[in-house]
Amino acid sequence: MARTRTTKKLAQRIDLNYFKRPTPYKRAKLWLCILVPLMALVWITWRGFFHDSRVYSSGRMSEPHAVLEKQCAACHVQKAGEFFSTASDSACLACHDGPVHHENQVQAQVPQCATCHAEHRGRINIRASSNQACAECHGDLRATDRILKYSAHIRSLEDGHPEFAALRGGAKDSATIRLNHAIHMKPIRRGPNGPIVQLECGDCHRAAGVNQAWPYADKGYVMAASSYSADATDILPNDALWTTKPLTGRETMVPVRFATACAGCHLLTFDKRFEFGVPHDKPEVVHASLLKKFQEYIAAHPAELRVVRDPNRDLTGKPLQPEARILTPAQWVAERTADAEELLSRKTCKQCHLYETPVDKAVVRIPSRTESESKPVGSLPGIAPAKITLRWFPHAKFDHDAHRSFTCTSCHAKALSSTEASDVLLPGIENCKTCHAPGPEHAESRCFECHTYHDWSKRKEVKPAFTLPALRTGGR
Amino acid sequence: MRMDATQRGWAWFSLGFFLVSGIVYAFYAVNATAGPRGGSAMGLAFGIVGFAFMIFAALLGARKRVPTWRLGRAQAWMRGHLWLGLLSLPLILFHGGFHFGGTLTRLLMWLLIITVASGLFGAALQHFVPRLMTTDVPLETIYDEIGNVRRSLREEADRAVEALCGSLGFAKRDTAGELRAGGFTALRPIAASAVPLRTSAAVSAGASAAVAAAPEVVLLNAEQSAPLTRFYLQEMRVFLEEPMRRGQRLGDAEKAKSAFAALQMLLPATARDTLMELEEICGEARQLRRQERLHRWLHGWLLVHIPLSLALILLGAVHAVVALRY
Repeated sequence: MARTRTTKKLAQRIDLNYFKRPTPYKRAKLWLCILVPLMALVWITWRGFFHDSRVYSSGRMSEPHAVLEKQCAACHVQKAGEFFSTASDSACLACHDGPVHHENQVQAQVPQCATCHAEHRGRINIRASSNQACAECHGDLRATDRILKYSAHIRSLEDGHPEFAALRGGAKDSATIRLNHAIHMKPIRRGPNGPIVQLECGDCHRAAGVNQAWPYADKGYVMAASSYSADATDILPNDALWTTKPLTGRETMVPVRFATACAGCHLLTFDKRFEFGVPHDKPEVVHASLLKKFQEYIAAHPAELRVVRDPNRDLTGKPLQPEARILTPAQWVAERTADAEELLSRKTCKQCHLYETPVDKAVVRIPSRTESESKPVGSLPGIAPAKITLRWFPHAKFDHDAHRSFTCTSCHAKALSSTEASDVLLPGIENCKTCHAPGPEHAESRCFECHTYHDWSKRKEVKPAFTLPALRTGGR
Repeated sequence: MRMDATQRGWAWFSLGFFLVSGIVYAFYAVNATAGPRGGSAMGLAFGIVGFAFMIFAALLGARKRVPTWRLGRAQAWMRGHLWLGLLSLPLILFHGGFHFGGTLTRLLMWLLIITVASGLFGAALQHFVPRLMTTDVPLETIYDEIGNVRRSLREEADRAVEALCGSLGFAKRDTAGELRAGGFTALRPIAASAVPLRTSAAVSAGASAAVAAAPEVVLLNAEQSAPLTRFYLQEMRVFLEEPMRRGQRLGDAEKAKSAFAALQMLLPATARDTLMELEEICGEARQLRRQERLHRWLHGWLLVHIPLSLALILLGAVHAVVALRY
């Protein structure tokens, strides 16, 4: 017979008060519901009891501020009677100055420090402000003097950034040095009798910090003192915004100098009697040098005072000199000096330099019987300042050293074909965008990569506030 | 709670809310000067709404504690708990700009993630396990009483074996003094494979058939009863006492069936009914074991979900106050 089971039997299995009895599951749930929140409460109270506010921190601090990780009060200053203690600008400015961006900026529109420099985001570069921070103003720029110097709507490198100023509107290089890059980039003879060489960009263009021998330098010129200051001939924009970082000397290229880059090929010889050239200096210094060299020479070689006419040097249209002439030393010196200066001014110097005073009107000296009679009929030709542009980006920074892995011509491709000294060989912004773009597979493209908000030339010194032992214990 | 068409309204609302929040967040994240932050106006808005959803979800526990509260239907509370609790995770992620922040906020984020994940796991279990319970455990009983039911099954088996084999010395259980349910006296046969009839109408219908004369039971001698006694004492009773122990032959339906078939061949025909009864008892014990296991899955996740959600609410409140201050 099959087993029978009545509903009464089934019901009798059930204790009517079963729900009142604790079961292991109910007990576990109850205890967990008490213990877990209690543990959380104890943990947070424990931290509060020991004044360890780090637990409330919304994230780790940036590397420069990591030392303040335990010192919440250093930035979150509690004012008497106030509940809130948000980090204020005064706390930031107590340690470091934040110079103005523009002198004519409206103070009410200047954002708080934390607006751009967001803290508690981990070990990030706190200087790396977002594009949005810049676009707050530059996204819709309004000129206070009704003249906009820049594009009115720049939101990022990709959105609205204009072409570099140096390349806009057919801008020309203001440097006065005549240089044909195209010729120098091809195989070229080293000096009048030298071998054919292939120049590299780095043979002439280098950063100051590069400590390497110049292959086309002339030691004599390198060691020689000059009467002019090379720096004075270079152009540095007055309104450039400088970075706070110390320069390593490898960021920007130093201007090309004759002694280190040109002298190896471009000899400043002036007379076949001398193997050396004139100093690379101002015309009056060159003149004095020539006089001295010729005077010393004629004193040592008096036989040369008898000058025999060389028919090969007779010029059509000019009066013929007598077959032989006997000159005084002064006359000889004056004549040789005049010849040398004419050679230099009409050929050697002119090859690279522009004159402020035309050579035809400036030259020269009339040879006289005596040195005292030698007097100029006009001034010496004035050499125009080189005006080599030191920084092409007055409002941005560029680090050549960071780009050292790339060949120079991969960016400065125009150097291969440029024949005019006035050509601006700067690569355009599209060239930068090849690598600098948003996304993990590209180089940084945010504004701060090239631009600096604060004008650090106007920085003010700040009195130190922290002491090293006290900082570790939370005091100043 | 099953994930069926009745959830459609909440699902559409939640999806819409999530999409709108996502669009607002994307716009805010792109235009925020210093990136999305919890302390910005938009970040605070996300945080407040997210925390409000969490509190609402947590109030389900209070609502269950006091079922007499006339604050909406329990089903609506459950749906709100499910969907708003789920929405709180993206809202809090939007609040923090997907940054986990410092110690407290990181802990809160992980608590929230675990709570929501355990909730989703629980919701999935609540959807599938009851259906499994219906098919696998037709003799389902009240979970808390499984111990009692198992004991009564053992006593029933003891009685059946002793009726056939003579006294085995099992102590009689004293039920005096316990308040037990069951005032209904109708009888019904229970087939091993049938779903038990629980309604009074169904029971009444089977009553006349069930009220039949009890069969005559013949006591076996020691030699005849030896296989049964050995089997019962060494296997079946152990299984009834400790059904969760691994490696038991009676825990597997097929193996149990063959064990009883083999036993039947060793016993006289008069023991057939008792053997069938014992086999049914084993079957019921197996179902109870299955119910116990399913029940653990069905409710075990709450041991993680509820305590962590309470800690989350508590620490969340601390975070709200402290974050507003700093």
